[in-house]
Amino acid sequence: MTGDRSPHSGDDDETAVGANQGWAAVSYLIGGIAVWGFIGWLVDRWLHTGGIATAIGAVLGAAGGVYLIVRRTAPDSEGRR
Amino acid sequence: MIPQALALPQQFLAGGLGMLADEGDSHFPPSVNDFYFPSLFDPRYYPWLTKFTLLVWLAVALILVFFLVGYRNPKMVPGRWQWMTESLYGFARNNIATEMIGARGVNFAPYFTTLLSFLLLTNLFGILFPIQISPNSHIAFPAVLAVISYVMFNYVGIRQHGFVKYMKLALIPPAPWFILPILIPIELASTLIIRPFTLALRLFANMFAGHIILLVFTLGGFALLGAQTVAIRPLSIVSWVMAIALTFLETLVAVLQAYVFVVLTASYVGGALAEEH
Repeated sequence: MTGDRSPHSGDDDETAVGANQGWAAVSYLIGGIAVWGFIGWLVDRWLHTGGIATAIGAVLGAAGGVYLIVRRTAPDSEGRR
Repeated sequence: MIPQALALPQQFLAGGLGMLADEGDSHFPPSVNDFYFPSLFDPRYYPWLTKFTLLVWLAVALILVFFLVGYRNPKMVPGRWQWMTESLYGFARNNIATEMIGARGVNFAPYFTTLLSFLLLTNLFGILFPIQISPNSHIAFPAVLAVISYVMFNYVGIRQHGFVKYMKLALIPPAPWFILPILIPIELASTLIIRPFTLALRLFANMFAGHIILLVFTLGGFALLGAQTVAIRPLSIVSWVMAIALTFLETLVAVLQAYVFVVLTASYVGGALAEEH
C-alpha cells in the first residue's frame, strides 16, 4: 500500500527527481539557445550582420544554459534542486 | 453544395474534411481534421458540445463517483474500493507532493490527486475501446491545465516571498555578476514562458501523436486490405498487429505523461516555495 510507505523510500523518489531534473535541463538548454539566438537575430536585423550575431547568440545562450543546468541541478551545490 | 468546377478536388475535400464525414468513414491518411469533432447536437446552438466536451464531463463524473464511493463509508481496514482511492491519494501525496515540495506538499496533495486522476483517466480514454481518443489530444485542454499550474506556482511563490523577493529568487541564479546578464534572460524565459508552454505542449503532443499513430496503422490496415494488388492485402495483418502493439505503448505513454505533468507542476510549486534555489 502506497500510503504506508515513508515519504523517503527508495527508487520512486529517484525517478520523480530524475524526471524533473531532466526536464529542467532540457528547458534551460533550449531556453538559452532560443532567448539569445532571438536576441542575436534582432541584432542581425538591426545591424545587417547576416546571421553572425544569431550564431554568436545561440552559442552564448547554450553556454549560459549549460552553466545554469550545472548550477541548479548539481547535487550539493547552492542549488536545491 | 459543391459547384461542378470543383468536382475534381471533391475527393480530396471528402478526405480532408473529416469533420463533415461520418466517424466510421475510413479515410487514409488521417489528418488534423480527425481531431475536430462535429457538434453532438444542433451546431447552430451547441457548437462547443462535442465528443471532447462529453468526455471531460464523463471524466469529472467518474472521478467524483470514484472518490465519493471510496470514502462513503471509510473503515480502518479499507475495502478494495477505499484502498484504490487511498492508494491514488497516497501516491500523489507521498511520492509526488511530499517528495517534490517537502512537508508543505501535503497542502497541495488534494489538487495533485485531482490533477493526476483527471489526466490518467482522460489520457487513458485514448486507448479505451469505445472512446479511443483523449481530450488532451486537443491543445485547449492541456493549455487550461498548464495555465492553472502556472498561476498556481507563481501565486504561491509571490504569497510566500512577496513579489520582489520571489522574482529575485526565480530570476537571479547564484553566479558571478558578470555572467548574470546572460543568465537572467534565460531564467526569465524559462520560468515565465517555456514552463507553461512545454507543460501544455508535452501532454498535447504525446496524446496527439499517439492518436495519429494508431489511426495510421488501423486505417492503413484497411487501406492495404482494399489495395488493387491482391498480394499486398495480407500485409494489413501486419499493420493491425502494429496497431495493437502500439496501443500498449500508448497505454504506457498515457500513464507516464499524466505522471510527468503532475511531477513537473509539483516541482514548480516546490521551486517557488523554496528559500533559495
